[in-house]
Amino acid sequence: MQKLITLQVNGERHELAVEPDESLLQVLRNRLELVGPKKGCDSGGCGCCSVHVDGRVAYSCMMYAVGAEGREITTIEGIGSPATGLHRLQQAFIDAGAVQCGYCTCGIIMAAKQLLDTVKQPSEDQIRLAIAGNLCRCTGYAKIVDAIKLAAAQT
Amino acid sequence: MSLIGKSPARPDALDKVTGGKGYPVNVRLPGMLHGKLLRSPYPHARIRRIDTSAAAKLPGVKAVLTPADVPRRKFTPVYFVPADAGSMVQDMVIMSDTVRFAGQPVAAVAATSLRIAEEALALIEVEYEELPAIFDPEAAMQPGAPVLHAHAPNNVAVNPSMGFGDLERGFAEADHIFEGVYQSHRVHTCYMEPRVCVVDCDSQGRYTVHSSMQHLFGLRQKLAYALEIPESDVRVVKPPYIGGGFGGKLDLGYIEPVAALLSRRAGRPVRIEQMRYEDFISTARHPIKVYLKTGVKKDGTFTARYSRSILDTGAHATHGAEVINVHGAFGLLMTYRCPNAKWEGYTVYTNNMIGGGYRGYGSPQACFAAESQIDEICEKLGLDPIEFRRRNAWRQGEAHPVIPGLKLDSYGFEECLARGAERIGWKSRRKANSGSGTRRRGIGFACQPLWVSGCVGFPDIYEHSGAIVKLNPDGTADLATAAMDLGSGQITTLCQIAAEELGLPMEAVRMVQNADTTTVPFDAPSHASRVTYSAGGAVRAAATVARERLLKVAGIMLEASPEDLTVADGRVSVRGAPASRSLSVAEVAQRAESPFVQHGAQGPVPTTLEEKGTIIGLSSQAPKGNPSPAAVAFVEVEVDTETGQVDVLRAVYAHDLGRLIHPQGAEGQVEGGFQQGMGYALMENLQFDPDSGTCLTGDFLDYKIPTAMEMPRDIQSVFVETNEPTGPFGAKSLSEPCITVPAPAIANAIYNAIGVRIHELPITPEKILAALGKI
Ligand code: FES
Ligand code: FES
Repeated sequence: MQKLITLQVNGERHELAVEPDESLLQVLRNRLELVGPKKGCDSGGCGCCSVHVDGRVAYSCMMYAVGAEGREITTIEGIGSPATGLHRLQQAFIDAGAVQCGYCTCGIIMAAKQLLDTVKQPSEDQIRLAIAGNLCRCTGYAKIVDAIKLAAAQT
Repeated sequence: MSLIGKSPARPDALDKVTGGKGYPVNVRLPGMLHGKLLRSPYPHARIRRIDTSAAAKLPGVKAVLTPADVPRRKFTPVYFVPADAGSMVQDMVIMSDTVRFAGQPVAAVAATSLRIAEEALALIEVEYEELPAIFDPEAAMQPGAPVLHAHAPNNVAVNPSMGFGDLERGFAEADHIFEGVYQSHRVHTCYMEPRVCVVDCDSQGRYTVHSSMQHLFGLRQKLAYALEIPESDVRVVKPPYIGGGFGGKLDLGYIEPVAALLSRRAGRPVRIEQMRYEDFISTARHPIKVYLKTGVKKDGTFTARYSRSILDTGAHATHGAEVINVHGAFGLLMTYRCPNAKWEGYTVYTNNMIGGGYRGYGSPQACFAAESQIDEICEKLGLDPIEFRRRNAWRQGEAHPVIPGLKLDSYGFEECLARGAERIGWKSRRKANSGSGTRRRGIGFACQPLWVSGCVGFPDIYEHSGAIVKLNPDGTADLATAAMDLGSGQITTLCQIAAEELGLPMEAVRMVQNADTTTVPFDAPSHASRVTYSAGGAVRAAATVARERLLKVAGIMLEASPEDLTVADGRVSVRGAPASRSLSVAEVAQRAESPFVQHGAQGPVPTTLEEKGTIIGLSSQAPKGNPSPAAVAFVEVEVDTETGQVDVLRAVYAHDLGRLIHPQGAEGQVEGGFQQGMGYALMENLQFDPDSGTCLTGDFLDYKIPTAMEMPRDIQSVFVETNEPTGPFGAKSLSEPCITVPAPAIANAIYNAIGVRIHELPITPEKILAALGKI
């Protein structure tokens, strides 16, 4: 039985009929066509699907869409785009060479954003801890850490 | 040179930081169905009966497939060789009625939703006749073991050997002989984007394929071969980029042919995306057991090297038939100078998952064995391990030890050793196990003295590349090539090489998106560390053709001979003439495509016939050589003798890459390679239930890869630039040795820290504590 829900995503309201066991990730990708959150594992192990729920980073694959009703969802598409201007983290990831295949990138930027939203000048320990729930197989994280430092220095 | 050696922003980065639309996982077509595979719970079984009638009747199910419905032609799925290559083993069919590993697909459905497809799978009844299974390759070689394939009664798929000199005499001349056994394990590449495809069969029976893969033309050829249709009936679309590969997407999967057949039956496009647990049993680096026997003189000179390698290829030979050769030749036999050497390899069938390609392709297993043993020899004989390797090293200018007809024109191995040692502070290294307390530090290193930049010299392996470079009237250039960007930056380096050759700014060269097998020349895969060298060479060649045409048209316009023209920063000028006597590339490109009278700022200008014709360059060529890079990794570790925990504190990686094209991208290769190599050394391990053969590490909660917390904070790249004469702007390759050398370097550093030698990967805390006698 589908359930009618209202989702608030990147500042827009969406009325949707969803299955009760549909994950937030599935709804974002398949129904709202927001492809920034990626499926890397669908089981809470990689962080590619990370989004913000009420300002806190969450694995959207591990959350039912029905459970997201009434909460403020933000995806990478909501923090900056070529049309609206990039978020400083997005620019820093480009500048520091933190993007390789890029499949982890949107999730890691969302994790890093939560850190920079709460800590203005994070230490390297804090940066590494903030992205410890996100796997990257290409970069060894070195340039990702550099990018987050670079973005932090721009505040 | 203005662009080579600089690090312009990756052209694909902006898209990737704002959502990344270009991955194959995002492809959706109108009317698309969702396919799903039913997988066997048994590791070895015959299918007696399959009943799909209930599944077929489920509303929303549009096609069902069983082994009875697929073509029977046997093939090798490996992309970089012909499907019927003699060096490979043709033992796969699209879907077999004999199951040889737990998780092998036995049926498939396509439905209007994934949910319905999953429900349908649950309605399929399969009756299996279980057969005895065998999981240990050495046991599988014994008489009486269960046999997997009729063509291999002793389960040996291939059994190559190579050698030279007189082994017996070599051992007789040795002052010391060392023997050891080194065991490696099964690991996954862990590309982050799952294997996924969308296949659309049109009304003519022709297929359009989107897939997350490393080789357009390999997919086209293998799919056509398996389906028994002409190659030109398959069109493979090049995705703008994919989410990692590392060798794990270097063969036809089950999903592509199954999706194709489901699409033909349903008359609609079919998408199949693997779940992560399916990816974990789709491809892996093979476990190899290496028996090593080495003879040396007192001073450390090799007199004889003998090795025997047992490779567990799992249910089918596929990559295992080639990995064994690369492992033997480039990993064991030819790394150092030794007059007498012999190697034998056994690629053995078992009821384990099928092994695949993985960055390094047999060399990490060999390097762990050989570089561990060299340190054991040095320890025993009191020799300096750096001096030992230098003594036995090849020298620049010598004949290439593996590839006939080539020389080591550029070869910076000794400089890698020296500069790496300097950077890590080798002189401050202490004697093994000389620390005190429970946290002990140690320094170690390991080498890959010889590697490849492609596959010249391997008789069955494709090794050519092509490119099209076309100038636009606005002064930009489109670059089209079949070379895939797996994430390692091929788009960037190839655009950089084209821009440099054409005298254009980096932003003016753009990689064509969604090229396909009908529009670009053949290319070998993005594998074997070959793209910068081989595809880069082809791109440069195409750009040279375009440049010559550009200068010809400009020469007519400027009334100068093309030889007197130069092009830089997007302008063509006459050497030695005032700046006013110059043209923008845009003006020249416009003239080449203008009508006979061109209307410009100066009014109407008549043009000539010779000026007419788009400025375009095409290349399709094999590279000149296969120059060998060399690499050394040094690491410092800290071992906790109470918990067995190993922390890698810092790493220095030195590599002779000929010429640095994009420093930031090159460092990224090193840092990412180190993560994979360190995971291989210390924690990653695909594990299987010993009775049922089912995978126990089917997600990232059970299969651990290093996170930002475990990685060393200090990874330094040392690039040795030897300027390879045949390479594009002097470049050769980088990628694979980055992942090969960390494991033995870490093993050697652990020995230095605590005096304990582990011969079996991964080096877990349990093994360390056991070796210390603590458990
Ligand atoms: S897809 Fe959600 S954590 Fe991996
Ligand atoms: S850039 Fe490829 S997984 Fe992170």
